[in-house]
Amino acid sequence: MAGSDQREAGRIPLAALDQPFDEDSLYQLRAAVAAHAEALGAGPRQGDDLLIIAGELASNAIRHGGGRGQLRLWRNGDTLHCRVTDRGPGLADPDGAGRHRPPLAAAGGRGLWVVRQVARAVEIETGPRGTAVTAVVDLNRR
Amino acid sequence: MGSGDHACLTFSDAEERLDIVSAFVRDGLGLGQKVICFTESIPPGQLVGELADREVPTRTPAARGQLAVRSSDESWLAGGTVTAAGMVDMLGREVELASREGYPGLRVTADMCWALRPVAAAEQLMVFEAEVGKLFSDGRLTAICQYDRHNFDPVTLAFAARAHPRAVAAAVYYEDPLLRICRQYTPPGIRVAGELDYRRVEELTQALAESLRLDHHVHVNLAQLRYLDVAAATAVVQAAASLPDGRVMTVVCGPAVDRTLTLVCGSELARLRVRVAHGRQ
Repeated sequence: MAGSDQREAGRIPLAALDQPFDEDSLYQLRAAVAAHAEALGAGPRQGDDLLIIAGELASNAIRHGGGRGQLRLWRNGDTLHCRVTDRGPGLADPDGAGRHRPPLAAAGGRGLWVVRQVARAVEIETGPRGTAVTAVVDLNRR
Repeated sequence: MGSGDHACLTFSDAEERLDIVSAFVRDGLGLGQKVICFTESIPPGQLVGELADREVPTRTPAARGQLAVRSSDESWLAGGTVTAAGMVDMLGREVELASREGYPGLRVTADMCWALRPVAAAEQLMVFEAEVGKLFSDGRLTAICQYDRHNFDPVTLAFAARAHPRAVAAAVYYEDPLLRICRQYTPPGIRVAGELDYRRVEELTQALAESLRLDHHVHVNLAQLRYLDVAAATAVVQAAASLPDGRVMTVVCGPAVDRTLTLVCGSELARLRVRVAHGRQ
């Protein structure tokens, strides 16, 4: 993902939070997201939404993206951005992933769908060497 | 708990103590027994409220004298010095009184932290627990002594455990410093505290399955759950969906958990009711 790192350096502001995670550090990751969201100006509802997004994207990275990942959180004007990257095998259908609610009886596949309901926008970049999912939350809503 | 049982409840979780005491009171009232609660750290009025919150009938039994909630101050500490002999006598008199009043038995539960006060000699607690055993032999007295782990030293707790023929505690499905999944008795179901995600969905499902098997209506107490992920929320909603007509799952939770459950559940499920409780955490 070297190319996108170069683009990142010019485009993405300094991250408030830039934290690696794996299955054993999920509690710490969620606590960090909650604390930083508040510091960045999120109200209780936006904080809850951000925690939902961070939790689901991180869980997906752990369960399907190689067991570990990196989470970055930053503010850009009136929006909060949460980007979770992993070095897993990638998504087969990034545009279609999480677009449809799985039936209740289905065991999984619901995390990304929930993220799409909660975030204003979701952008997915994926390939055989890894995946980056960026979700955007409005600070001024509600 | 059977008549004549003398059990020790050692607890760290305040909710668990209230849950088990409520079940003990409810069962005793249901058997027609007289019930006396001696309370110390929780004022009597507040304890009555906690019992009522857990669907234990309080007003009618209290009005007719079947249920009494008393503070230690007005009971065995009233006379000044506490002695084991004095307390055993007092309990013996209460057992006789209950019999004369026509009750088939007396249930007593007591918060034992009165023993930590300076006026109560600590060694008298040990003598009390040893001597009180003789009151249980004819089955007219059933008791639970409550010991808060935060207040008592390990030596006293070990002695208390040995002095009681039985111990009561909630069945625990999973426990670590950040998550506890246990059985709830009043109202019946499960209680989860801490943070719950996909890693413990198996234990959650096990707890839900047991409640589905044992309880007509299932209560899922998530009031002290700070975080519930989509995978765990799915397990809860799937369990509710599996209930046959006439049976309902009631979830109590905070606003954040409610949001996740609503996202997972989508359209209204008749069998799932969610009550959002603010400020319990």
